[in-house]
Amino acid sequence: MAINPGQRINRYEKNYSSYRLIFVIIVSSILMYQDTQDGYSKTLRTYLSVFAYPITYVANLPKNTFQGLSLRLSERASIINENKKLKEENILLKSQLQEVYKLDAENKRLYELLGSYPDRQRNFLFADIIATSPSPDKRQITINKGSIDGVNIGDAIADPYGIIGHVIRDQVFSSEILLIADLEHAIPIEITSTGERAIAYGTGDMNRLEIRSLPPNSKAKKGNAVITSGLGGRYPEGFPVGEISRVERIEGENLLAIELSPFANLEVINEIWVIQTEVSGDE
Amino acid sequence: MSRKINNLIFVWFIMLLTTMMTIMPLPEFFYGIRIEWVALAVIFFSIMNVSLMGVIAASSIGLLLDLLQGGLLGENALILSVISYLSYRFRFQIRVYPDWQIMVVTLFLLSFGNLISLWIRGFSGQVLFVTEEWFSIIIAALIWPIFMRMLQTLQNYFVEE
Repeated sequence: MAINPGQRINRYEKNYSSYRLIFVIIVSSILMYQDTQDGYSKTLRTYLSVFAYPITYVANLPKNTFQGLSLRLSERASIINENKKLKEENILLKSQLQEVYKLDAENKRLYELLGSYPDRQRNFLFADIIATSPSPDKRQITINKGSIDGVNIGDAIADPYGIIGHVIRDQVFSSEILLIADLEHAIPIEITSTGERAIAYGTGDMNRLEIRSLPPNSKAKKGNAVITSGLGGRYPEGFPVGEISRVERIEGENLLAIELSPFANLEVINEIWVIQTEVSGDE
Repeated sequence: MSRKINNLIFVWFIMLLTTMMTIMPLPEFFYGIRIEWVALAVIFFSIMNVSLMGVIAASSIGLLLDLLQGGLLGENALILSVISYLSYRFRFQIRVYPDWQIMVVTLFLLSFGNLISLWIRGFSGQVLFVTEEWFSIIIAALIWPIFMRMLQTLQNYFVEE
């Protein structure tokens, strides 16, 4: 590599880069510490992300255009086919819905008999994914609805099959979502057949969650459905999470090792909605 | 347009472009592979054209990358500034190396960056060894000669000495 002849080398020139490096290391260490402690960097991030949004948008443009194009270029026959299938599915769902009305009314009556009915208003906000985290050890996605659309930190996110995660950072025009499969994520759950409550931890693997707190005399079996328990107040109650894929009893351990496979396909997420729960007083 | 502003526009355009390339989602086939274009560009400017890129500039582009990737705020800032400092410090030695040796140096710098990242993740409580990360580093080092030639060509066109 030839040195540019126009560039003069002055070895005795005063050079502050070492001091700058020390300064940067100190500043970024403080920032990182603040970030792990939920300090003021959360607010800082919210404001700074306004500048980051256009870059995210442009960077995801090729993928989104490609998807749009392939949608537009798909053949007419397949679209008609899909339409037919969707209509059938719609009729099926509607017929199931009729039953839900009945159940809902019955449920309300029973609650009234008990004298306590939490009047919950759930708001569903439809959203699209604009970015997925490029790093395999961070299971995060970004959606196109932000605090300007009324998304708050802690709102639960679901896709047509089940819960996928919750909002951890609300930027102004978009928000970041931590998926339930992330290593740092834990979700309070209830096993439907036994009624046992536990916490399911993410493992970093998209198809596996773990429950580590059930005793060996638990009746949980493979294939049991798992729903959110609503404890802790972050996730709404009764949404499907996944089903138990493995129950193992380890000799000498006093807890069962239970694995869970989420209902939602976390690797290919398409449409999602934000579930906003408003508890309106005690009526 | 003055020389300084012209060069500034050039370098920040390249940095933004590489940032976008870094966070751009790749097809399913490349799952987990993420090439650190920004780190490569920082190494290039720190070695070849010191007047365009310093420790502070590298750390601010790292901060932007942290925002975009949703990681710890400051992680990439730290890594990129260390990489920039090291390649700046040894620029006289590195510049005279043949291409393949610069490639090895790049491999070392990127690996060191990833090591710092692993340390930081260890401190903040989650360590997951991802094989794809190290694959990405090797691929990035292999891409380096082409990347360097391209940036040099661009630099000859747009940067005024």
